[in-house]
Amino acid sequence: MIALYRPGASAIHRAPAGPKVLVFIAITLAITLSAHSAWMLPAAAVLVVAGYLIAGLGLGELAAQVVALRWLIVVMLVTQLVFLPALVALANTGRVVVVIALAALVTLTTRVPALLDATERTLAPLRRFGVNPAGVGLLLAMTITTIPVIAGLAGSIREAQRARGVPVRATTFVVPLLVLSLKHSDDLADALAARGVE
Amino acid sequence: MEHPEIVFDSVSVDFGGRTALRDVSVSLDQRRIGVIGSNGSGKSTFARMLNGLVLPSSGAVRVHGLDPARQSKLLRRRVGFIFSNPDVQIVMPTVAEDVAFSLRGRGFTAAEAGARVSAVLDRFGLTTHSEAPAHSLSGGQKQLLALCSILVGEPGLLVADEPTALLDAVNSRRIADHLLDELPQQLVLVTHDLRMAARCDVVLRFDAGRLVESGAPGDVVGRYEREHA
Repeated sequence: MIALYRPGASAIHRAPAGPKVLVFIAITLAITLSAHSAWMLPAAAVLVVAGYLIAGLGLGELAAQVVALRWLIVVMLVTQLVFLPALVALANTGRVVVVIALAALVTLTTRVPALLDATERTLAPLRRFGVNPAGVGLLLAMTITTIPVIAGLAGSIREAQRARGVPVRATTFVVPLLVLSLKHSDDLADALAARGVE
Repeated sequence: MEHPEIVFDSVSVDFGGRTALRDVSVSLDQRRIGVIGSNGSGKSTFARMLNGLVLPSSGAVRVHGLDPARQSKLLRRRVGFIFSNPDVQIVMPTVAEDVAFSLRGRGFTAAEAGARVSAVLDRFGLTTHSEAPAHSLSGGQKQLLALCSILVGEPGLLVADEPTALLDAVNSRRIADHLLDELPQQLVLVTHDLRMAARCDVVLRFDAGRLVESGAPGDVVGRYEREHA
């Protein structure tokens, strides 16, 4: 769902990280606040498709991002269909998919250090209220960087369980993944401290 | 060549009722300092104290004139630390970004930081991987990346805690050669690889939290091998 940067020279790649994030926030707010508008969701979907094409990522990348969301889409749709009319449930789920695809477009076209700098600059005025801009920026960077690590841990657990002839079930998969993830976060914290990150 | 001193004065470390280090006193100014001992002997605790990751429960530590308890920020700029698992040392998505992360907040311009990153990647043969996702590198390349990320900050002391434990023979030798033969920095090398320890200028041997022996590698490593044969 959060994608790693893909090098490119498009206008979206070249746009500064700060304004890019602000545009993303503005579009997200517009989609959220105009929930009853019939044209907003199709317009946002067109914007997303245009964004992926302009960035040179292509519709294949957009499809890959949506496929990665398949379980989220299923869970959202099924739970909403219990309480809401089908059209409303579809529109709500569509809005979430559009926002996540847009967020992925931002991370696909923006280097993490640029996001880190933009976050630090934007949050700098909040320092007087006790907010640590460098800490928030680092949290964002670490979230993006840790995705392949957690995916690797999940792969190792699946392999280990298959090697022992244990069927992979949610119950036998989640606990070891949690334990390994927590161990990784402990080790990472030590490594960050060793590199002078307070 | 003599290096600034590492001084431990009657240092003990307790972790919730368990004593990890017991009354360790030693003064070191050699370039390559090897640390050996069995698992749980206290050698990693000793190494982590050099970077302020572990603080003494009693006694005093001075590393290149700095007190880890009161000057940790300054100390961590002067003391680089390499862990055995290179995966946990990767902070940023790509190789060049991860190395550049070590220079954040140090007052370098983007051009200066870029030049330093390029130089260190070139030195360790990672230039062609600079834009690659850091987690896609091989184990040996990841450990070289960890080394680059530390050395770009030009520390005066490098602490390596079993840096070759997860590497194959070829990559182990490559990392060992870099650490032991090519770096000008003072090095504290914690290792189970007795051949690496034998290449140091002095070797410390820990057992059950005590520093039981320190001296010439031939003597200390030889005795350890005979006792564990």
